[in-house]
Amino acid sequence: MVVADSQSSDTGTILRVRGPLEFKCHLDSTDARLMHKVISRTFETLQSQVKSESCVLTVCDSPVIIWPNRGVYAIPEEITPNTLCEDIHQWIQSDEQEAAGKRSAKKKSKKSSAASVINLRLMMEATKTGRPLSAPILSRTVHKSHFLSTTFPVDCVVRTTVNETIKDAFERLLEALTHQLCEMEKVTLQHIKGTTLLVPQPLHFLLPEPKGLVTVVYPAGVPDSQLETQRKELHQQFELPDDWPYFRRANAYHFPNEPYKDGYLRNPHLGLTHPTLDNGKVYLVQGFYSYHHYMQDHVDDNGWGCAYRSLQTICSWFQQQGFVERAVPTHREIQQALLDVGDKQASFVGSRQWIGSIEVQVVLNQLLGVTSKIMFVSQGSELASKGRELANHFLTDGTPIMIGGGVLAHTILGVAWSETSGQIRYLILDPHYTGAEDSQVITDKGWCGWKGPDFWDQIAYYNLCLPQRPKVI
Amino acid sequence: MGRSYIVEEAVEGYLTKQCEQKAGPVTGLLIGQSSTQREFVVTATRTPQREEPLAAGDSPDKQWVTEHARQVSRMLPGGLSVLGVFIVTDIDAKDSLATLRKLVFAVENLISSERLWNPADDDVTDCVALHVNPKTRKTFCRTFDIKDPKQSVAKPADWKYQSGVCSSWSTVSCSLSVDMLVPLPDDRTDLEDMDKCLKEGLKVWAHQLESAVCLIDGRKLSEDMELVGGQKRNVRQTYTAQLLITPDERRATDVVQRCGGSVSVRGAIHSRAYLHSNKPKAKLAEKLLKRDAVSTVATRAQMLLEELLTSDGESKGSGRDRPQRGTHNELFCLPHRIFCPVKASGPVCVCDYHFSDEGLSVVTDRLKEMLDIDAAEKDLDTRQETPAEVLEGEAAAEPTVETIEALEPKRNRYIGVAMATVVAFLATAASMLYLNDV
Repeated sequence: MVVADSQSSDTGTILRVRGPLEFKCHLDSTDARLMHKVISRTFETLQSQVKSESCVLTVCDSPVIIWPNRGVYAIPEEITPNTLCEDIHQWIQSDEQEAAGKRSAKKKSKKSSAASVINLRLMMEATKTGRPLSAPILSRTVHKSHFLSTTFPVDCVVRTTVNETIKDAFERLLEALTHQLCEMEKVTLQHIKGTTLLVPQPLHFLLPEPKGLVTVVYPAGVPDSQLETQRKELHQQFELPDDWPYFRRANAYHFPNEPYKDGYLRNPHLGLTHPTLDNGKVYLVQGFYSYHHYMQDHVDDNGWGCAYRSLQTICSWFQQQGFVERAVPTHREIQQALLDVGDKQASFVGSRQWIGSIEVQVVLNQLLGVTSKIMFVSQGSELASKGRELANHFLTDGTPIMIGGGVLAHTILGVAWSETSGQIRYLILDPHYTGAEDSQVITDKGWCGWKGPDFWDQIAYYNLCLPQRPKVI
Repeated sequence: MGRSYIVEEAVEGYLTKQCEQKAGPVTGLLIGQSSTQREFVVTATRTPQREEPLAAGDSPDKQWVTEHARQVSRMLPGGLSVLGVFIVTDIDAKDSLATLRKLVFAVENLISSERLWNPADDDVTDCVALHVNPKTRKTFCRTFDIKDPKQSVAKPADWKYQSGVCSSWSTVSCSLSVDMLVPLPDDRTDLEDMDKCLKEGLKVWAHQLESAVCLIDGRKLSEDMELVGGQKRNVRQTYTAQLLITPDERRATDVVQRCGGSVSVRGAIHSRAYLHSNKPKAKLAEKLLKRDAVSTVATRAQMLLEELLTSDGESKGSGRDRPQRGTHNELFCLPHRIFCPVKASGPVCVCDYHFSDEGLSVVTDRLKEMLDIDAAEKDLDTRQETPAEVLEGEAAAEPTVETIEALEPKRNRYIGVAMATVVAFLATAASMLYLNDV
C-alpha cells in the first residue's frame, strides 16, 4: 500500500478559508445543562454571523473581496458570480510581483504537482448600509459567575472542480463553514469539564484518492493517545485500513507553499524522476521525513556524524507520521541513550565516535520504542540481489533504511527493482552533504538521488537497519 | 520654516468681536485640521464665562480652559480637532507667551490622555498659540511642538485669512455596529470598575478597527491613492466607507475566568470624518474615520458614566457602598449623535450627544455654551442615528434579566457641574497632568 503523492491532473483549485471567530459568553451558572445551553446559544450566534450578509471572505494577497451571502457579490467589479474559481489566481500577487492587479501570464511551478490553493480570510463587515440603526445600549449585569472568552480557529477547505464558478464553490464553502461550526460545537460540549473548556481545532488530512482532503475537529490540548476512539470511528467512517495512522495530528496535511517552521527540507526525493527498468517497479518510503545531514543545528560533525544523521532522518519519519511525539534527538541525546542501555562507556558521550546499524537499532528502541530488523551482507556486491527484500520492506513498513559499511553510512529511501531482469537501483539520501537546505542543489548534485549497484564498496561488508512500523492508528 | 495656518474668514470677525469684550483677557480654542503642509482653522470658540468673570489683571484659569477643551473635543467629528489656544489681551505678546504655552500644553495633554487610539507617525505635533491685541487687532502666531515639552520653543507661524476654507471639503462616513462584551472583575463591580473594563474593551475594539480593511465607495484603495482626482472647487464630495474586521487571535490558556458580571455595548453609531481639499489620500480618510468611530463610542460611554456617578453621588452619601449582593441587570441607553453645521463653512459640522428624553434645546444651549454657535433646532441634523430602543427580545442576550428598564439618569449638562464631576472622577493621572506646571 503506497500513499499516492501525486494529484490527478483534473483537480481544481483548493479554496481554504481561515479566520478567528470570537466566542464570548457569560456563564451565569456552573450547572452543566445550563452551561451547555449558553454555549449552544453562542454557537447559534456564530452560525448566524457566518450566514449573514456581513460575512466577508477576502482573498489573501489580492484585492478580491467576496460577500458569499449577498449573491456572491465581489469586488473588483470584473469578478462576477459566474467567474471561474481558477481565474481568481490572476488577481493574486506573489512576492515577485510589483504591480497590483491582474497578472498577464500565470507562472507554473515546474516542481509542483500538488493542487493550487487559494487562501481566504474570514472577516465580518462591521458597517451597515440602509436606514440608520439605533444608538447603542449599555447593559450591566452584576452576578458572580464565569466569563468565557476565546477565539475559535476556523479552517475550512473545499476542493473545486475544474470550471466551477465562484457562485457554486462559495456556496459549498459556506456549507463547509456552517458544518465546521456544528462539529466545533459537538467537540466543545463533549470536552467540557467543570469550567474548563477546550478550544476545538480543525485539522485537514489527505486520504488516498478519491477521498482527498478531509477535515477533522480535535479538542486542543488532548494528546493523540487519548483520542484513539475518535480515530477508530474515523477509520471506519472512511473505510481505511488500521495499520496507518492517517488521523494522528502529525499527519495533518501540509499545504503547498507553506514553509515548515523548523527549516528542514521535507521529502527532497519527490522532485526526482524515477528510473524505468524493464519490468521494473519503484518502491519508495511512505509518508514524510526531514533531511538531516552534516553541519546542521550548528553541530560540526563533518567526518564522523553520518550515521547519527541517518538516524535523525529515521526519527523524523516516526515523529512526522505521528507515531512518537519526541523531537528528533541530538548527537548528544543519541550518545546518552547508548550509555543508558549499557552499550557504551561514559566517555562516549561528547565524543566523535562513529556508530553503526546496531547502535541505530538500539537507539530507536530506547528513545522511540521502535524495533528494527538487521540485514547483513558479507560484501557490497551482494546488495544487488537484495531487491526483493528491500521492496518488501518499503511495501509493508515504508520506513527509511540506514545502511552502514566500509567507512560510510547512508539512508536508503527506496528501490527500483525488476523481478525478471534483476536490475536494481537505490534511492539514496546522503548525510555527508555540508551545504544549505537548497533542494535544487541537493537533487542536481545527487545528494538525494538514484544510484546503481556500483555505488557500494563491492568488497566491504554492510549492515542495514530496517525500522519496523508499528501497526497502529 | 514655520507652520502655515489658513484661517476661515469668519474667524477674523469672531476674534474681532472678542476684542470688544470689556473686562479681562479672553481665551478660547482654535479648531480645524492639520495636514503635513499646512493647517486649516475652521472655527474658533471663546472659553465659556465662569460665574465670576475674570478681572482685567487676572491670568486665565488653566483648569477651566482645559476642561472646556476637553468638552469641545468631544463635540468634534473626525478630521476636526483642537489645534491650539488663542488669547485676547493687552498684555504684550512676548509676556503672554508663557501663559499661552502653559495653556497649549495643558489642553493637549488632557485631550490626548483621553484618547484610546495610538498616535501615528505622520501625525502633526505642532499646536498653535495665537495672541490678539485688542486695541490694534494684530495677531501674533506661534507654534509649540507638543512632542517635546522640555525643549519646545515657540516657532513663528503664518496666519492667513481666506474665505471658504472648507467649502469643498470631503466627508467620509459610515454606520458602524458595535458589539462589545467585557467581564467585570470578581469582587469589584462598581462604576469605576465598569469604566476601567469598558476602556479595556474599547482599546481592544480600537485595535481591531486599526487593522480593519477599509473600503471607500465600495472599492479598496491603496494607501497613497488620492480620494478624488480632478476635484472642482465648491463641489461637495461625500464618500461611504465600509470596514471589515477580524478579531485578534487569542492564545490564552484561561478560556474561562471567574467574574463578577459583565458589561455589554450593542448598537450602531454614525461615524464621520472631514477631509481637507488639498489632495487628501485614502490613508488619511481611513485614519480619521477610524479614530472618530472609537472616539464617539468612548465619549458616549464616558458621558453615561459621568452622569451615573453624579446621580449616584447625589442620591447617597458616599456613593461607594452600594450593596452588590445578588444578581441584577441594568440597561442604559447611550445618547445618540446629532450634527450641527458650523455656519458658513461648507459641509463641516460639529456634533453633540442627545439623550432621548431631553428636549433639543439642551443641545442648542450646549452648542452655544461650548462652541459659541447660535443654532436653531431646525438646523440640527438628527437623522443620522435613531435613539436606542429597548425591545423585549433584545435583553435575551443576557440569560437572566431581572429589570428591563432603560434608565435615564438625571443629568446636568453644563460645564460647571461637569467640572465638579470630572475633578472627583479623574482622581489620579489626568488631574495630575493638568495641575502640574509644564
